[in-house]
This record gives sequence, structure tokens and C-alpha cells, in this order.
Amino acid sequence: MKTTCKRLAAACVAVLAALSLPACGERKTAELELFAMDTYMSFTAYGNRAEEALAEAGRTINELEQRLSRTREGSEIWTLNAQGCADISPDTAELIGQALAYAAQTGGAFDITVAPLVELWGITTDTPRVPAKAEIDALLPLVGSKHLTLTRSDPALTVFDTAVLDPGCAVDLGGIAKGYAADRVADILEKYGVSDAVASLGGNVYVRGTRPDGTPWRVAIQDPLQNGCAAMLTLSDTFVVTSGGYQRFFADPDGTIYQHILDPATGYPVQSDLLSVTVVCPDGARADAYSTALYVMGEAKAASFWQSCQAEVEPFEMVLITADHRIVCTSGLADNFTEQEDASYAYEILAH
Amino acid sequence: MNGAMKISAKNIALCGVLSALALGLSVLESFFPLSLLIPLPGVKLGLANIVTLFALYTLGARPALAIWLTRCVLGSLFAGNASAFLFSLLGGLASMGVMIALRRWDRFSVFGVSLGGAAAHNIGQIAAAAVVLNSTAVIGYLPVLLFISLVTGALTGLLVSLLLRAAAHLSLR
Amino acid sequence: MPTRSSPIKYRPTVWDALIAAAIIALGLLAAVLFYTKNARGGSAIVTVSVAGEVAERAALSQFDGDHVYTGNGYTLTVSAHDGEIFVSHSDCGGQDCVHTGAISRIGQSIVCLPAQIVIRLESASPGDADVIVG
Repeated sequence: MKTTCKRLAAACVAVLAALSLPACGERKTAELELFAMDTYMSFTAYGNRAEEALAEAGRTINELEQRLSRTREGSEIWTLNAQGCADISPDTAELIGQALAYAAQTGGAFDITVAPLVELWGITTDTPRVPAKAEIDALLPLVGSKHLTLTRSDPALTVFDTAVLDPGCAVDLGGIAKGYAADRVADILEKYGVSDAVASLGGNVYVRGTRPDGTPWRVAIQDPLQNGCAAMLTLSDTFVVTSGGYQRFFADPDGTIYQHILDPATGYPVQSDLLSVTVVCPDGARADAYSTALYVMGEAKAASFWQSCQAEVEPFEMVLITADHRIVCTSGLADNFTEQEDASYAYEILAH
Repeated sequence: MNGAMKISAKNIALCGVLSALALGLSVLESFFPLSLLIPLPGVKLGLANIVTLFALYTLGARPALAIWLTRCVLGSLFAGNASAFLFSLLGGLASMGVMIALRRWDRFSVFGVSLGGAAAHNIGQIAAAAVVLNSTAVIGYLPVLLFISLVTGALTGLLVSLLLRAAAHLSLR
Repeated sequence: MPTRSSPIKYRPTVWDALIAAAIIALGLLAAVLFYTKNARGGSAIVTVSVAGEVAERAALSQFDGDHVYTGNGYTLTVSAHDGEIFVSHSDCGGQDCVHTGAISRIGQSIVCLPAQIVIRLESASPGDADVIVG
């Protein structure tokens, strides 16, 4: 009996060792937090070269901010707004090109030329105010993609290297720059062979691979009305961006609450029937631009925009939280979606 | 115990049959997961423990350990979850240790040994989870798991007691 | 195999009852230990970081009261009561941190950009969210 047991035990130990080998590969965890692009960012990455990857991600984000900031003196966008014309780097050209494309797709609901109005309302400053209607109407004609053109200084160039803006107009990439930065972070993680990571850049989340336990990442959507989460999404290898008026707002002395997303068509903060819009898609800049655009559009237009995009080559998914306490989740996310028991919402699936 | 022991073909065959039976029971159990009724990690009937406990009484500690380990390793190959395997391995080790000790002590009936083993299994699992997850939060599950182990342990004890009585006339050793 | 093992006891003995009692006692002990320690807020851990550096880490249950942090020239008062934590006062311009209100769930955070202060609730429990969007 004894030798049999020994042999059995030896065989079991061998099987055990074989099973545990793939589980304990050399995997390092790296974390990074930073304040950039007017928001708080945090990154966690798992992999042999995770540390290097995050260091480069941090550098890249700081570089992007120096080029893309509207308020930083000497940035490419600051120069463009100040002089009406600027030499731009390939990054900036790429991003402006994408922004113009999304503006066209969303019928101007997302528009980076809304900057003069953002300035007028003082939305990103410490002293926001409600302007007079005449002031707003005076600036509205300056909003629109037609005022911004990308050109080449030399016709032989394959990429745009110059941006030209009509007089009085201004550009603010705030609604897309974080998404673009998330795209760049994803590229860097890929370059360094980092298989699993989670990145949060303000309201922009990127999830790569899986959690350390091998299950998909759990991305909770903030409940706009109360402390807590409205829904949970289990996702891998995608970007998740939420836009909503509840995050940043200010109160007029008369008590009216104004939130921070302006409707490019009216020049006023959006009066939406939505509390928040979450977009899930494999492209960070697009997710960022769409989330703002869909919030501006409101529920009905957002739903038909989603329908129309399903026929396109690059569909996206979304979760809408409405002012009348419903959560509308598109059919492509139904399997990734978990309701939160203690949240007071009715849940709906939006199908084609 | 100086290696001068005879291993009968009957014993080897019995070990194999019991291992297969234990494996079969644990696969069978996975079709009726108790965790559907009580949604907590680690909740299960532990049908395979019937075989292990039976072996402990009829064959002794070492064959029982061998049967348990075989069942555990092969079972994890079917289930294929590395961390769950680790938890059940550590839980099982604690359970086997306690059952062998209680059996040696010669004061407890089949019921006592079974109860002790079931409780030790849960404690071992929770301890492993606490270490792996680096969190004491899982200890919150322990009271419920221990209460359930009282029921499942008593049930296993009853079944094994009946089995042993039925097999009393057989000379298995 | 030695055949010294004692005769099998088929019926429950008093000693068995002792084991059952021990298990019940252990379960009660674990329940009392666990649930009195984490009455509310679960096992959340509060992390306060200033400009990316961790300034304080403590269990939420042991964080009650007011705490003052300064960063980048701004001063924040962070208050914790009954498993909830919020910024009760800040001299920053936007007041986003105060508007965020109280947080009590793992994964939630309050961020004050001007002061570069982040208050986070963390846990290693597997069922919680990894990241909150919005």
C-alpha cells in the first residue's frame, strides 16, 4: 500500500507542478497617477515591461497637453486661437482631422469650434457667469466646422501641417483630447507588450485584457443622481467614456443650475432629457466625441444616431441614463451589462 | 511500517474504484450546484467526501489521502480553474488533516469526524482566499459557510455511517 | 497496514455534539469579529493622495471626523461619518470636489483638481468595480 500511495502522490505532484507553471509567469504590476489635461488620471498595468510602458504613457500625455491645451500659452492650439493660423504637429493634425469628421457625422452636436462660447461662459474658469442673450447671439456665427481648415505648407507633404481659423473663431479640443490620449496610451501598452491594464483619464476609461484573476474588467457607471453606481459593465479591450452634466456645474446667483456642456447650436448649456451618456467602442477619441454629441442630442436623436451607425463599418454601443430614471442599454452590450440592485432605475434594452 | 508491507491487488483495485467513484460524485454534484440555492463562493454538498470518509474508516489514512488527492487533481482537470483548484486543495488538506486526527482520537463517531472535516474544509478555503486576495473581507462568508457545513457534514456522516454498517461484514482491508 | 484502529462508532456521541458546538462557536466568533469591525462601509480603505503622493491610508471605519489637507496652495476639509466620506469645505474655485458629495462605495473617488488631492475608496474584494466611469 505504501509504495502505491507514494507513486500516486508523486504523480499528483507532477500534475500539480505542470498546472501551476503557466500561472506564475513573471508579471509585474505598475501604477501611475497624474494630473494632466485638466483632470485626474490613473493607470494600472500588468506585464514584464509595465513600468516602462506607463512611464512613456505619462510623458506622452504631458507632451499632448503641451500641444493641445487651449489655455497654455505657446501650445499649438493656443497659437492657432491667438493668430488664426499655426504650424501643427502630426498628432494635432490627426486629432483635428478626427474631430472634424465626428463633427460632420454628428451634425455638429460635437464641435470643437464652440470655444468662443466656452470662454464667454467662463466654464473652465473659477468664475463662470451667465452671459446676456445678445452676447451669445453675437458669438454663435463663429461656431462651426467650416471656420477651421487643415492645409499643407508644401503640396508635396502627405500629412497636414498647418491649421487655419477664421477671424474671431477658436478651437477647444477638451471634448476629444482625453479620448485621443487614451488611444495613444493603448498604442504604447501594445508596443511594450503589456497584456492587461486599466486606465482612467477623467471620464475616459480604457480596459485592456483582463483582471489579474482572468475575468473581464468591471467598469461601473456612476449614478448621476446619487452616491453609487447605476450599472456595471464587464469589458475587455475597449474604451468607455461617460459624459453628463452632473459632474461639473455652477449655480447662478438666482439659483439656476448650469452644467458645463454647451449645445453648439444654441450657445446655452444643454437642457437634455439625459443625465449621462456612456459610449463603448474600440476607438478612444471617437468614444469621447460621441459621448458628448449624444448627450447634446438627447435620447431620441441619440437612439436614431446609434441605429444609423449600426449599418456603418464602425458601430458603437452605449448606455443612456435618462432624466425620467430609465437606463437604456444597446443590444450589443446586453451580455456585458449588470443592473445594480440598489439603484432606482428601470432598465431597457435598445435593439435594432 | 518499515516498507515490509504487502500491497494486495485488492487494495489497489479498491483505491482505484473509490477514486473513480469520488470523481464521479464530484462531477455529478456540479450538475446540481448548491450555490444556486445559496449564492456564496465555496458552498457545496461535498458528495465526494462520502467516499473519502468511507475510505478513511475502511482502508486507513494513507489510502484515503491518496484517493482524495487523485479526485482533487483529476477533478480540477475537468473544471479547469486554477485558483478554484488551489482553494479546494488547501480546503481539502485541512479537512483531511482534521478528519484523520479526529479518527485517531477515538472519541468521536462518524458524525463528529464528518462535521470536523466539513468545517475545516471551509476554514481552509477561506484562509486560502484571504491570503490570495490579500483581504480579510472574505472572512465575512465564514459564519454562513460554517453553518452550512454543519448540515452537509451531518448528512455526510449519516450516509457514511449507514454505508459502514452495510459494509461491516466485508473485509475490505 | 496496521490494524490497530479503534472500532467504528456508528452513532453520534456526546463528543460529536462538542464538535458541533465548537463549529457554531467559531462561526459566531467570526461573525462578531467581522461585522462589528466593518459595521458600515464594508472593508473600504480610504486613500488620500496629494499631487500623486499618498498622504494618508486608513480603514474607512476608523476615519471618522474632519481631516484637513493642503495641496497646491488650496485647503480641503475632508469629513467622514457613518461610512461616508465627503469634502465639507474647499477654498478652490470650481468646488467640483464639494459638489461630488459623499462617497461610500469601493471604487468611488473625490478629486479636487486645483489642489491635486484625490480621495479614494479601495478594496481587494473581487466583486467590486475596478474603475468607475462618469
